[in-house]
Amino acid sequence: MEAASDLPEPTGRRRGRGGGPRYPPWLALPALAWYVAFFLAPLCFVAAYSFAELSGFVGIDFAWNLENYRYLWDPVYGEIFVRTLGLAGFGTAATLLVGFPFAYWLARYSRRRTLLLLLVIVPFWTSFLIRAYAWLIILDPSFPIFRALHVDLLYTTQAVYIGVVYNYLPLMVLPLYAALERIDWSLVEAAQDLGDGPLRAFRRVTLPLALPGVVAGSLLVFIPLTGEYLIPAILGGNKTAYTGTLIAQQFSEAHDWPLGSAIAMVVIASMTVVLVACSRIAARGEVGDG
Amino acid sequence: MNEHEIEEGLGGRRIDRQGFVAGAAATVAALGLGRFGSMDAFAASEAEGELFYYNWADYVNPKTYPAFTKATGIKVKKDFYVSNEAMLAKLKGGARGYDLIVPTGYMVQILASEKLLQPIQWSKLPTVKRNLNPKFRRLPFDRNDRFSVAKDWGTTGFMYRTDLVKERPTSWREFVNLTKTKYSGKVTVLDGIPEVIGSMLVMLGYSYNTDDRSQLDKAKKELIALKPHLRAITSTEYKQQMIAGKIVMALGWNGDGLAVAVKKPAAYVIPKEGGEFWVDSYAIPVGAKNPDAAHKWIDFVYGARNNAVETAYTYYGSPLKPALLRGVLAKSIINNPAVFPSARVVAKLQANQISARGTALRNRIWTEFKNA
Repeated sequence: MEAASDLPEPTGRRRGRGGGPRYPPWLALPALAWYVAFFLAPLCFVAAYSFAELSGFVGIDFAWNLENYRYLWDPVYGEIFVRTLGLAGFGTAATLLVGFPFAYWLARYSRRRTLLLLLVIVPFWTSFLIRAYAWLIILDPSFPIFRALHVDLLYTTQAVYIGVVYNYLPLMVLPLYAALERIDWSLVEAAQDLGDGPLRAFRRVTLPLALPGVVAGSLLVFIPLTGEYLIPAILGGNKTAYTGTLIAQQFSEAHDWPLGSAIAMVVIASMTVVLVACSRIAARGEVGDG
Repeated sequence: MNEHEIEEGLGGRRIDRQGFVAGAAATVAALGLGRFGSMDAFAASEAEGELFYYNWADYVNPKTYPAFTKATGIKVKKDFYVSNEAMLAKLKGGARGYDLIVPTGYMVQILASEKLLQPIQWSKLPTVKRNLNPKFRRLPFDRNDRFSVAKDWGTTGFMYRTDLVKERPTSWREFVNLTKTKYSGKVTVLDGIPEVIGSMLVMLGYSYNTDDRSQLDKAKKELIALKPHLRAITSTEYKQQMIAGKIVMALGWNGDGLAVAVKKPAAYVIPKEGGEFWVDSYAIPVGAKNPDAAHKWIDFVYGARNNAVETAYTYYGSPLKPALLRGVLAKSIINNPAVFPSARVVAKLQANQISARGTALRNRIWTEFKNA
């Protein structure tokens, strides 16, 4: 792999330095305008609110101090944050474990890819709210399977975990499939011809080639999960605090927008760290690709 | 029951999931997290001939909508909220276009002070002026009747399935003890910060509205001890779950208790220690497209017969002069102490008058409760 970097760059490579085709930069303008208006500007509002104070029932006092952040420096919020990371970590690992074999089979062996991919996407045609309530019916202890097993998962943490895997699985499968589908399987066969066992070939060839998909899928699952609100609220009986439900409580019940904004900022900052770390890993994966 | 009396018979009351799905959707939309949700509040609606009614879920007899449209030609568009706070959040966040809302007393005060309400034009409410029980005028939260007209009133207590709970609890203390022991995992409480914390305060002998830190701290300890035994924290699903028998006790509102009792053996209790007494009022928010239609709705449901149709569905106390209800509302409802508690019982209860400071302290307790 080291020696590969000494070879001349093949032309037309996607990440080619200098040699690739040039596109007019104004093509980025619509996206840029969109992100400035609907992402950066709101983010600045949230940041500004996080330095404000609640006055009266709903009033906002721009005090420009760190009071909200100091208030969050407290074991209660720490515990909620850790619980949320646990949920996001579980969701990422579980969707990866369930999604990878499926995506692998789909990319390498399946003959009905289009149909199966469509089936992965079909649930998105229905509002997630409706699907969450559907799960409420499935998880009901009187539902045949659970009645037979004498299992009662209604409004439990397990129900939240099941809901998370269900809802986020497509977000993991699609990028995994996209990465696996591009793999030239003759490379794997070559590794096996040269003496690698199937597991070793998988670890040394398939996995590195699939790594960008693994990272992309993990981010698509992990990051939204740190703000997940609906699943704990509906399937968990709204009784356990996660950062998403905590922020919701500040905005819709307590009207403490400044505190809610500060919590959001802490989550955003932590996720930025995760994102940067992951993009480094992915970049390394793609360099190894060369 | 004579034929002129109105009572929704067994099975007449439609208890479906639509109500709470819509309620949840409204909450989600209010948070701006809606992957779908009714954002209609922001869309231009035809000002002529349409009433945009933003209300608690399942708080109007479904028969009343077509009756109103038939009588006035005005169509009703609906959106729902699950708590006063969620509704305030949406209005404060800038949602406009709603013509009619139903805040609880304390929220009328907050909305008015936030300049989110427009005055009621009493000249457009002849029926209300004629039929309103004078007791419901000049209420403490709106001394000059400027912004609100009473819709109905009720209490926050608890309910239980009399066939599944052998005991006959009559106090908050018994409710809490039974939850922590025999019926662990089969009880829910409202997803309402003032109601739940207030009930614990009242159980401990304190004021529902206290700002005292040490009293609030004791209420918090009670709640944290209760938490592992609760099945859910919900204001919208307990009715269905009580009827299904998944839960056997719930901290909730009297009308919901009665709705369960119509379907299954159940009782609603105003606990011995006391609890919350509330009045929900019609109010017209700023930015209403059709305030005329809102006045027409209020005046329409103040007709004695129309009002009886509402009371027979919601099981909440009517603010009409009692004499007007006799003859149109079933005696079983008029004489039901859970719908119309006696003045002696009501005297023990307290209305929400929590200060801003008390609200902030309660927010923190609620976070610890949900983290427990």
